[in-house]
Amino acid sequence: MEPQTLIDYTRSLDCIHCGLCLRTCPTYQLTGAEPSSPRGRIHLMRAVAEGDIEPDASFAEEMDFCLLCRHCESVCPSGVEYGALMEHTRAGLAPKTLTGRVVKSLGFKLLESRLMLRLMAGALRLFQLTRLDRLLAPLLGERGSALSKLPPVGPAYERRLLPKESPAEGAQPVALLEGCVMPELLGEVNRATVRVLNDAGHAVSVPSAQPTCCGSLHAHNGELERARALARETIAAFESSGDMPVVTNSAGCGSHMKEYANLFSEEPEWRERAERFSARVRDLSEVLNPQVSPKESSRTVQEPITYDDPCHLCHGQGVRGEPRALLDATGLERVELQESESCCGSAGIYSALRPKDAERILEGKLEALRSSGARTLVTANPGCQLQWQAGVKDAGLEVEVLHLAELLDKTSER
Amino acid sequence: MNSLLLHELKRIVGPEGLTTDRTRRQAYECDGLALVRKVPDLVLAPLDTAQASECMRLLKKEGLPVIPRGAGTGLAGGATPHEGGVVFKTSRMRRVLEVNERDRFARVEAGVVNVDLTSACSHHGLHYAPDPSSQQACTIGGNVANNSGGPHCFRYGATTRSILGLTVITADGEVLELGGPEPDPEGLDLVGCFVGCEGMLGVATEVSCRLIPTPETTETLLALFPSLDGACEAVTELIAANLEPSAIEILDRLTIEAVEASVLAAGYPDEADAVLLIDIDGLFEEVHGTARDVEEIARSHGAFDVRTATDAKDRARLWAGRKGAFGAMGRIAPDLYVADVVVPRTRLKEVVLATTEICKARGLKLSNVFHAGDGNLHPNISYDRRDEEEVARVLDAGTEIMKKCVAVGGSLSGEHGIGLEKRDEMHRVFSEADLDAMLRVRAAWDPDERMNPGKAIPVRGCMEVKTKPLPVPAGGGRS
Repeated sequence: MEPQTLIDYTRSLDCIHCGLCLRTCPTYQLTGAEPSSPRGRIHLMRAVAEGDIEPDASFAEEMDFCLLCRHCESVCPSGVEYGALMEHTRAGLAPKTLTGRVVKSLGFKLLESRLMLRLMAGALRLFQLTRLDRLLAPLLGERGSALSKLPPVGPAYERRLLPKESPAEGAQPVALLEGCVMPELLGEVNRATVRVLNDAGHAVSVPSAQPTCCGSLHAHNGELERARALARETIAAFESSGDMPVVTNSAGCGSHMKEYANLFSEEPEWRERAERFSARVRDLSEVLNPQVSPKESSRTVQEPITYDDPCHLCHGQGVRGEPRALLDATGLERVELQESESCCGSAGIYSALRPKDAERILEGKLEALRSSGARTLVTANPGCQLQWQAGVKDAGLEVEVLHLAELLDKTSER
Repeated sequence: MNSLLLHELKRIVGPEGLTTDRTRRQAYECDGLALVRKVPDLVLAPLDTAQASECMRLLKKEGLPVIPRGAGTGLAGGATPHEGGVVFKTSRMRRVLEVNERDRFARVEAGVVNVDLTSACSHHGLHYAPDPSSQQACTIGGNVANNSGGPHCFRYGATTRSILGLTVITADGEVLELGGPEPDPEGLDLVGCFVGCEGMLGVATEVSCRLIPTPETTETLLALFPSLDGACEAVTELIAANLEPSAIEILDRLTIEAVEASVLAAGYPDEADAVLLIDIDGLFEEVHGTARDVEEIARSHGAFDVRTATDAKDRARLWAGRKGAFGAMGRIAPDLYVADVVVPRTRLKEVVLATTEICKARGLKLSNVFHAGDGNLHPNISYDRRDEEEVARVLDAGTEIMKKCVAVGGSLSGEHGIGLEKRDEMHRVFSEADLDAMLRVRAAWDPDERMNPGKAIPVRGCMEVKTKPLPVPAGGGRS
């Protein structure tokens, strides 16, 4: 791969080397190492583009080590589009080994097929019930630990897909993105999402043509071609639902879908369709109105509660106040979590690819959770939810981890 | 590099404390001054004082040059690597060792980030005063090495005023305890000598810092001026009137535009050609009295509006914008030359005008954002380091600006240090005898001149170097 195509050189020049990003970076926090910081990574990219270094294994490792949490973008005075830079570079860095390439492409194929996801979830349930997963995990080496950390997979009934239409009256109807992993591992979150939307008067439709995956995981990991194909399918599927808002309960998907246009810089027609689509995308917390949320505190939620900002909601979409306003409208006592805008280590499939690093990153977050005294932790993204659930369980904390939709659902009266 | 030495060093610091591979070393080729670059042979990151000392002993045996580095946010090339050198960085030493709220000091490792020190003591109603604009990233150790400043140093003094004691590793690996948490230890003030040494006397690994009570009231004023001249004149008069705000900053039009286009947009108005950002702190009555006086002076020099920050959030926003100003200039061009000169505050307007003329004559894009209260100017010149001809014009302008400042009775550096950037201008301020005296102090600590060689004190015996602005060879500056 030529340096010119591997590096988005023009974007890399936006970095003025001030270093204000350093402290926000989870991998710099872990290592104190310049090449593991946003400024350092951009410096290496520029050095590759200018021919000073080769894009060798060390270079690839530093690019891979990044969580793409984009915390650096939230503090960058120069407006460096770090996420786009990294996605561009990752797209050019193919895995070096044949098995690496096979594992990667199989993994992403899996995400694109509901049938395959179904089969995997079923198999996982079988393993978990027979405790075979405990036996298998060590055979998979470091990545096996990710397998043993997955939550118990529910019976097929709990993994059912959402109804295509859930009627309600009084507020604007919305279309919902069902998500890839969500129905298999967190089906209850999806159903809670529909219930709170219905309660607030939003009829919910789930377009059946939507692909299994929006393509965000592909884009973050450099599979830009597949990401483009999935984006086209997603856009087309939701165009059938007119102008209504496209709602998602996954911060990662929301952030990616709001930036679909970036994928189509060389296809004006798709770029325009992407922009129209993106303008309709809303996180769940952006649609619900705190005023009409029920105020009754519920005894099924342990107080105080706290909120951990998913990176792709706060840094990716700039959504910070809305989830908090919704939580406060429940009347539950809420405490702030220290460094709530720093990454929990989930980062899409990062926690599966690099479980040890993900665990080290979560350690600091768990410490913040301990000192907050919170009994319930609320997040708004499936990856973060799974990461927190596993971490809280391992640490033996008596803290319930809930998605925002679940908490709102629990506190509403029916 | 000697493989036995590498093996020994690795045994001390572990695999995470040692960077040998060529690709990763590239990231250490410069600090905040990206104009001059040199890839180091090795990067060492000890975890604590004991490791640092052990490493330094080995490096001494091999006679290797050592380049201390904190977060690498310095703007004068103080952490630019040296031929065949080892970058010795403190970024893994970041424990807050002790916060003693009753005796009002904190002891921290050198790699603690400036802003984390204040977070560690704010719940006691205390804070650490020096607040460089890079405080979100820069380390206390780096602040010690450069005697760093910051907006609030107008009232509270630069870093040296806030350092009580140091644990220092000398060039031969000896661990020295200088000063201590109690004020005024007996004997020579070696802490005072070490602060601002730019890594030439040793590496500080632990620092005892003075903490001060957070003032009861803080008011932040934003005065809007139709011209930069008016803002400068107002500052001159504020100083003459013996008013004592805690910070007096000026931002000009281009800076305001860059900040307002960024994530740090602070609400600086687009109708002003310059703004004065002023913090006044203390007791309630005193603060409001001073604020009234400041407003009166600002208006008498043409301020058409004086706004007051409404709450803590508003204040934080105004300051975050100011402190991100350097980074925001990345929107104008890929590189920024941040000059750091000091002038008597009665000459502010005159020198600012002169810098504008100097840059205009060379076709350079100048912006101004500076600590006006201290007379510490930062004429910022936007450029692209890939354009050799433009780089030459920038360096020439930098020299002219320094000449002008020295001519009116000012100095070469307010807070960034001399480093590489201003090294060869030192002779404008100091005589041969002065420079010799500096070398003798240095020799007392490091007779072999292995610590950060080639920085801050001009290489002499060769008249040529004094007349050259910067050692930038052809080919974009990679030496």
